[in-house]
Amino acid sequence: MSMLRTIKPKNARVKRALEKREPQAVENEKTAIFVRGQSTSEKVRKAMQDLYALKRPHAINFSRKNDIHPFEDASSLEFFASKNDSSLFVTGLHSKKRPHDLVFTRIFDGRILDMVEMGIEEIRTISEFESPKSSLGARPLMVFHSDLFDTHPTYQQIKSTLLDFYNGHPVSDIPLNAVEHVISITAGPISDTAPLPRVHLRVYTVKLLASGSHAPRTQLTEMGPSIDFSIRRIQTADEEMMRQALRRPKLAKSDVEKGLGKKRKNIETDEMGDRVGRIHLGKQDLSKMQGRKMKGLKVRKEKPVSAGEEE
Amino acid sequence: MDVSQELADYAAKHTTQVLERSQPVQVDMGLLAAFDNTPIDPSEYSSDLDAHLLQLTLTSTQALISALFALPTTPSAEHGPVIRPPVPSTILPREKPLPKPKEPTKWERFAQAKGISHKKRDKKEWDEERQEWVARWGRDGKNKQKEEEWATPVKAGMEADQDPAATARAERKARTAKNEKQHRSNLAQAAASSSASSRRTAQQARAADLERSMLVSKSATASMGKFDKSIEGEPKSRGVKRKFDENVPKAGWKGEKEGLLGVLKSVESGLGRKEKRKGETKEGEVVVRKAVRYHDREERLKAGRGGAGGGRGRGGARGRGRK
Repeated sequence: MSMLRTIKPKNARVKRALEKREPQAVENEKTAIFVRGQSTSEKVRKAMQDLYALKRPHAINFSRKNDIHPFEDASSLEFFASKNDSSLFVTGLHSKKRPHDLVFTRIFDGRILDMVEMGIEEIRTISEFESPKSSLGARPLMVFHSDLFDTHPTYQQIKSTLLDFYNGHPVSDIPLNAVEHVISITAGPISDTAPLPRVHLRVYTVKLLASGSHAPRTQLTEMGPSIDFSIRRIQTADEEMMRQALRRPKLAKSDVEKGLGKKRKNIETDEMGDRVGRIHLGKQDLSKMQGRKMKGLKVRKEKPVSAGEEE
Repeated sequence: MDVSQELADYAAKHTTQVLERSQPVQVDMGLLAAFDNTPIDPSEYSSDLDAHLLQLTLTSTQALISALFALPTTPSAEHGPVIRPPVPSTILPREKPLPKPKEPTKWERFAQAKGISHKKRDKKEWDEERQEWVARWGRDGKNKQKEEEWATPVKAGMEADQDPAATARAERKARTAKNEKQHRSNLAQAAASSSASSRRTAQQARAADLERSMLVSKSATASMGKFDKSIEGEPKSRGVKRKFDENVPKAGWKGEKEGLLGVLKSVESGLGRKEKRKGETKEGEVVVRKAVRYHDREERLKAGRGGAGGGRGRGGARGRGRK
């Protein structure tokens, strides 16, 4: 925080832009930054490219390498977060000790909240699947399988992180036919050989078929990416910080119903419960308005009204 | 050409068969998410992973879609039926803390204390002479009326070369500057109080608490902590100042006299004297506590004289005390 100088707005546009960055009761969607470490592998690059494609348009891709090791020193992530007003990070790394490494980081109030480090074991990219793809900015469904996501603290954190990543922002209105794809996260069964079983990420496109009843039948086609993760280091959130982060604003029920507390200008509900809007129309140009056409109202240029008519 | 195998593969890939679950799939419609908390079957998982994952996803997605389609819809011209999902049941961390309420200004605090209610001032003011509403300030503002007067009556005591328009303008500018200054101080105070409260975490609060209690306990010795050994990284006590009485008291000498008489009185009545411990001092008995302390002191003195470096630390400390 201290690295950034405080900007004093010089005009209204800058002031509005700065106000948007201030804490809000109803927040905007979190932006994710995809940043590569000093050395990365083919697998890491592929995975980051596809995870970025899924997160777009709320994602920023850093094209250059950065000397980042989130678990050792996260100050540069905090700097990037404050500079870009974003709070999610995917850092791609590759080393002998931890090959094909992805670190998911969450930021709260400009400081690191928690981190999950996962290794890429298997990957098939979006382009490897010959299937229809979801459109840009389409909202995915997200499904989690396994009891570990309910009971195991590490997997609870993974679930929270991934859910926050792709579906963390509640939306007020969803068209039913806008459902295009589903992100499926599954943890393997726990065993003696695998105390921390792998996490499988799959993405399918959804096709809804008529079923005779109200709810349609679902058909899934794999769209990619398909990534198998192994679990590595975990940094849990500071208790006090998490408590602050989980606080909810008190919103009036009518505001929530109107659209999650976002203030909408010029729309009101009157005493009868009808929605009344106020719109601004510019000043009407009356000079060009065509009035009633009559012979007597015609402007005669050649023969102006003269005294002779009075006779 | 036999395509039955391919057909079977296709059917397996595009299956719409839903699995039986022991626990119903939990649905969070607000986040468009579903959670299947049934444990994964190890045999199915290891035999054919991708097919099993597809089956699982299909099951939970079907549950989620069914729940979403059960919601009431509103028609829209562009997008077809639109649903409004309920508030999410899964609580995810926020990006930034909750917005803080605006810090009240000095005037607002004063008004609150005095119970003065806010009065909204109109932007326009009624001009009696012109018989119309005029702006209070700004362009053609009423506050510039004195400066724009074409003639000003000279009052008694006014200097001959005084420019009334310039004086009025200077006064107006001074009012603006004063308001600006107050505004800035209000902003500064709001910034200071908000940053102080947000940056101070629970840990920092605890550390400050410990420091305070340590300072208190250190100064609770007979010498007010003057001769105590200092610890590395020990906090400095701030804000503790000695107080002296005034040489010439403003309130007069009566207070000093009374104070001194009070001291004498307390000595006379034995008010400050230590109470003797009960049960220790009967006539003719040895006071064990004092005897032990006396004996200890003798021993220590002997050791200090005789030993080479053993007693130096203690001796040094006492030496400082005598200076």
